[in-house]
Amino acid sequence: MSSSLTLPLPDLVIGSEPPADAEQSPSVKALRSRFGDAIRAVRMDPVGTPVISMEPGRIHEALQFLKADPDQAYDLLLDVMGADPGGELVIQVWYQLWSMKHGRMLRLLASLPRSGLSIRSAVDLYATANWLEREVYDMYGVHFENHPDLRRILMPENYDEGFPLRKDFPLRGRFARSEQVKRALNRSTEDVYAREELALAGLLDDEAIAPGPDTVDEDEDHLEGEKMVINMGPQHPATHGVLRLVLQLDGETVVRCIPHIGYLHTGFEKTCEYREWNQVIPYTDRMDYLAPMLYNIGYVLGVESLLGVEVTPRCRVVRVILSELNRILGHLLWLGTGAMDIGATTVFLYTFQERERIYNLHEAYCGGRITTSVTRVGGMVADLPVGWLEACREFVERLPKTLDECDRLLTRNSIWQSRMIDIGVIDAEAAIDLGLTGPNLRGSGVAYDVRKARPYLGYDEYDFDIPVGKVGDTYDRYLVRLEEMRQSVRILLQALDSVPDGPINVSDPAVILPDKSEAMSSIDAMISHFKLVMEGLQVPAGDVWYSIEATKGELGFGLISDGGSKPVRCRFRGPSFVNLASLPHMVEGGLVSDVIACNASIDIVLGEIDR
Amino acid sequence: MTDERRNLPIVDDPASDLDTGTPASWIVTRVDAVVNWSRRNSLWPMPLGTACCAIEMMASAGSKYDIARFGAERFSFSPRQADLMIVAGRVSYKMAPILRRIWDQMPQPKWCISMGACASSGGMFDNYTIVQGIDQIVPVDVYVPGCPPRPESLLYGLMMIQEKIKGESLSNPVHREESPEAVGLPNLPPEAIELVAQPFGNSTRQNRISGVEPTSAVSRPRDRRERLLEHQD
Repeated sequence: MSSSLTLPLPDLVIGSEPPADAEQSPSVKALRSRFGDAIRAVRMDPVGTPVISMEPGRIHEALQFLKADPDQAYDLLLDVMGADPGGELVIQVWYQLWSMKHGRMLRLLASLPRSGLSIRSAVDLYATANWLEREVYDMYGVHFENHPDLRRILMPENYDEGFPLRKDFPLRGRFARSEQVKRALNRSTEDVYAREELALAGLLDDEAIAPGPDTVDEDEDHLEGEKMVINMGPQHPATHGVLRLVLQLDGETVVRCIPHIGYLHTGFEKTCEYREWNQVIPYTDRMDYLAPMLYNIGYVLGVESLLGVEVTPRCRVVRVILSELNRILGHLLWLGTGAMDIGATTVFLYTFQERERIYNLHEAYCGGRITTSVTRVGGMVADLPVGWLEACREFVERLPKTLDECDRLLTRNSIWQSRMIDIGVIDAEAAIDLGLTGPNLRGSGVAYDVRKARPYLGYDEYDFDIPVGKVGDTYDRYLVRLEEMRQSVRILLQALDSVPDGPINVSDPAVILPDKSEAMSSIDAMISHFKLVMEGLQVPAGDVWYSIEATKGELGFGLISDGGSKPVRCRFRGPSFVNLASLPHMVEGGLVSDVIACNASIDIVLGEIDR
Repeated sequence: MTDERRNLPIVDDPASDLDTGTPASWIVTRVDAVVNWSRRNSLWPMPLGTACCAIEMMASAGSKYDIARFGAERFSFSPRQADLMIVAGRVSYKMAPILRRIWDQMPQPKWCISMGACASSGGMFDNYTIVQGIDQIVPVDVYVPGCPPRPESLLYGLMMIQEKIKGESLSNPVHREESPEAVGLPNLPPEAIELVAQPFGNSTRQNRISGVEPTSAVSRPRDRRERLLEHQD
């Protein structure tokens, strides 16, 4: 019934020690021996990941080798990131790879000349590349050869202002605002159907693209083979935001599911290129508004790794406490809304009561309920207020009672079980191929958690377990998240016992604003205060791909700096974006009513999908 | 009225008992008062929740804030059975035609709350994809400030809508004006859109071009639109 513990548990994925220098890395050695002439440069990024710059034409071959070779076994493509470093010359495409077997990370870089923005697609190797490459195409206009479905993903399909993330694209768009409104409203909602969907609905004249004509014999039941296309969203109570699904149905059975996203595209990545490093933090809240502090913390960890700043011991523990509180916050929302989708309204009221308690803790610390912006590069916005830790402990100690209550309401409830067991099954291999991370991947039985694989913030010092499912169905994902909240309580209790005294911020005047009283009394402090305020934080030139375990999966930050006070590229790899792409895999062949359960079980947040 | 009828528990005014000893079975009031009373105490919101504000909207439906106290807990996910659209969160240009279509699908009488900075003015996203204030697309009755507004603010906005309904009259057609030709079109003329969507956050701009207006002034969106057009002349 539940994910039984009698089976042998899968091995925990543990990261290997990063090599002392890039050339020592076994992957670099292997690539050098096979693709020596195609390698332009090899270096190490600040978190110890080898970065290999290659000829774009050989990238696909290299990816093929890296995936197939058992000594490399890079089976998880975490990210495909585009970047425009400025100037007229190149557009970059970065590939971020992770090997479950060897616990190694690798980054490949292809620099495409603007005259030939074309590279072979990796969809045949990694299913997850599909949406990631579409996004690069949408934002930079890079053409991926052999891509099965290369069209815009976030912007409207007939968007004609250009490719937004290129440096020559103005922040506010090319057209006047009135023209943008006019064009947006003139765009009929039906216009955005892709040719493929029109073909499904039989509305396309072009026979070459339309699926084979319905060859229904007159003798047979004339309804057989007749498919119906329905549209779900973007305004739908159970899509958890403005997600749109086009479903082709054969009776009650889903034949095709085509998700459409981008209705909440907010231009975070473009806007952040126009903000100073610390000014980006308020934007990070608004991407995952279900667990905002995890985004705050992940982003500054990325910037700190570029700067080479190590935060104080107190700050580390405080960040762990806030991370785990927010993991609970995110999972509680998922539990409440997921249960409501399936028809259990009570759970929503229970979980929102607990969420209000966490909001009270947020408010006591920083004044905001959702948009917290608690971190600063090099520390936190402020030290914890007096009595906060006690209030937090009180909450943490009473939370398991609510969790047990929800557990009793749901776990053995026969309606709940019949709606979830064996629904939306994804096995481990497919999950990795689709790039799932977080509870979705662990529900499929892969014990990969960034907190264990590449511990940050001293997570290796805490004693906690990684729950894994065995079937990979909706029920397993539910059990995994419920257990994760209990594990977060465990971490919180350990962290609350061990908050060290001492300063919360680093004392580096080039990073953190000096104390106000000091700035008013000492000339040194005043100068550094003035410089930080007027010029902003200067981050040394370099690039990094830093990831943490967020509530929904692996949250990556791809940052590129040219040494100035603003990022050149601020890439957010929202885990929901990749996770959502697996929805068709889960629902096709199932019933239309299970679409809701599957969508709820992926736990998406449109803010980070559409960015 | 017959004796049997008198025993039925219909509208029963206990005050009349004191005067005459007989229960009254009727009351006198204006149609407007009854209609407005029932409308404002049973608003069915159409929650157009897109982003962070939607979470606060859900919190106001939770047990702590309990929007049911105001009779507005029946969230209607179909625009055809709703009379109050709450736009909670940022609206992109890709979403704009859908927002307009949902508004057009709602039957009169209908009202609109723009919840939060992004819906009201684009908020911190003055970029290529976010509509700089949904009043460019649909008429807005109440703007709720905040990023996101707390549930209390949303409830206050709801109470402002209730106040507004109180002042309406069936004999005054101005509230219900809706031309079929305007379906799917922007709510403001192009010049006004250019003005409210100027860089530097359009809220400051709106104050500046709307003449000297203290922030405490009661400003309805209709006034604001007229003032924008006056400024053009």
